[in-house]
Order: sequence, then C-alpha cells, then structure tokens
Amino acid sequence: MTMRRLGILVGVTLGLGCSAAFAATLSVGTGHLWAGSQTLTKATCTVTGGTDTYSDEKTSADNSVSTTLSEQPDSTKRQWIFLRFDLSSCNIPTTGGADSATLTLFESSAPRTNRTLSLAPVLATWPANLPFATAQALTYGTSTASVATGTANNTALAVTVTADVDSFVKSPATNFGWRISDGSAQATQDQAIFNSSEAAANKPQLVINYEK
Amino acid sequence: MKLLANILGLALAAAPTFVACGAAASLALGSKSLSAGSAAVTPCGGLTSLSATWHVDNAGNVTHVNVGGIPAACSGETLSVTLVGSGNASLGSATATLGGCGATCSATFSSFGTVSAANVAGYSFGVAG
Repeated sequence: MTMRRLGILVGVTLGLGCSAAFAATLSVGTGHLWAGSQTLTKATCTVTGGTDTYSDEKTSADNSVSTTLSEQPDSTKRQWIFLRFDLSSCNIPTTGGADSATLTLFESSAPRTNRTLSLAPVLATWPANLPFATAQALTYGTSTASVATGTANNTALAVTVTADVDSFVKSPATNFGWRISDGSAQATQDQAIFNSSEAAANKPQLVINYEK
Repeated sequence: MKLLANILGLALAAAPTFVACGAAASLALGSKSLSAGSAAVTPCGGLTSLSATWHVDNAGNVTHVNVGGIPAACSGETLSVTLVGSGNASLGSATATLGGCGATCSATFSSFGTVSAANVAGYSFGVAG
C-alpha cells in the first residue's frame, strides 16, 4: 500500500515536472517573411516633331502638310489642331512611367486677346487628312492639360501633359495624341497659329522625364 | 506512518527541482538554464522579387502604385510598400492585406500623401504573414 502511494506520488510529481519542462520550451512560429527593394532608373527623352494636322470647319483642305497649325473657336469657322508623338523611340517599357512631360508649341501668331486652349486625348485613330466632320465624330478623353495663348507672337508655350504621357507610356496602344481646341464654339475670336512638324524650325516638341 | 512521512519528505525535496524548471520558463533573471530553438522563416510562395508601377497626375505627383505578380500563396498576408527617395529616405508608405487572388495576387496603394514622382528613386517591399 505504501509502495503504491510512493509510486503515485513520484508519477504525479514527474508529470508536473514534465509539464513545466514543456512550458519552458520556447516555440518559434513558422510564419512567412520577405523583404526586397526595386531601384528605378531615371532618364529623359525628347521627341521633336510628330504627326499633326488641323481640321477646318470652313474648308476640306488637307492640312497635314502645312507648316502651321491653326486653332480658332469661331462658330462655323472652327479650327482644331491634332497632334501625336510616337514614343517608341524613347524605349520606355510599359512598366515605366512619366515623372513629368512637357509639350512645347511655338506660337508664331497669337490672338489679340488671351484664350485658354484645352488638350483632350483622342481615343481613336485619325487620318492625316482630317475633315472637320470626321474630327467631330471622333471620341475624346477628359482634358487634363491646358495652355494660355497669351497675346505675343513668336512665343514658345509650354504645356504640362504628364498624366496623359504617363498613360501613353503604360498603354502605348491608347496613344492617339491630342486635340487642341477651345472646347466650345465662340464668336469673333481670332486664330492662334503654331509651327507644325513640317516647319523648318521650332517644331512641336515633347520632353519626357521618365523612370523605368 | 513513518514511511508516509519519508515519502512526503522525498516529494518536498524533489519539488524545488521542478520549481526551478518553472522559473526557467519565465526566463527570470538568475535562471540557471536557457534553451533556444529555431525555425526557418520563408517567404510565401517562394517569393523572390516584386516590382511596382506608379501612376501620376498632371502635376507629376504619385496617385497610386500597383504591385502585381505576387504568388497566390501570399493571399491573406500583409504587403507594405515604401516610396524611397535619395539617401534611402522614406517618402511615404502604405500597407494592404493581400486578397482576391487568382493565379497571382495584386494590390493597389494610394495613400502615400503628396509625393513627387521625380523624387522617388525606388521602392522597398515587405511581406509578412
């Protein structure tokens, strides 16, 4: 009887001791953990000249070979400028993006009163010879860029087009360029005339600071 | 009776041994023994690298960052992205729990505050779960 009690006591005591020993073991969780980094490369690409024309509500002339691009908002005499740059020469991967992008237009003849021109991304391809009716039938995205014409002739106008160019870089198939217009028809304004890509100098230029 | 007293004495003598074990479990100062273990902490789904792309507004500020191509095994884990500037300075961070994964997981982060893309030199990533 006494030996039995002794056995039980030793057993219970060892059992408690083993429990304490298990509690003393620090278990390490088997979770997941990873850390990494990505370094970006910065560069600049300048594209001078592109595909451009302007649509004239008054005539059906092919303006794609003109050395100038005209814009005016007058009702029944509207003129819209279309301009597209091929960015393939920049070799920016679609995983890259624009830090900043500036379009420079050389305004050879400014209107007598300042106007604000809007740049709307074109959402479909357009022909070099672009009648106004065809231009009206095109679809356009939301404008994120605009520029004031000022009233001084022979002035380089810089337009920030970062958001649109960033989108063109990531999705080259959506790059159909811009329409430059006043947006709505107005009365008795005069033209803003810019150098086109066919001009001898001061062609439209797009400078992109990008990362990849 | 005497034998019972001896047994009780033996038990009391053994007790400090186990009390010592209990003390070790709490890692108190003065502990006489300590053990340590280890287990491998591996990345989910064999993750070895990540890449991100940002989108900007017309002012050149980062609007959001996309991270894709994350192994589906990382679903439910936490991904942190930090925009890193020159000198490894943190320009902004965001965290998301990965979910809605198909063949791979992806996540979009948009709460970096106002950060000029021109100042971002890279990304730092962390995945934990």
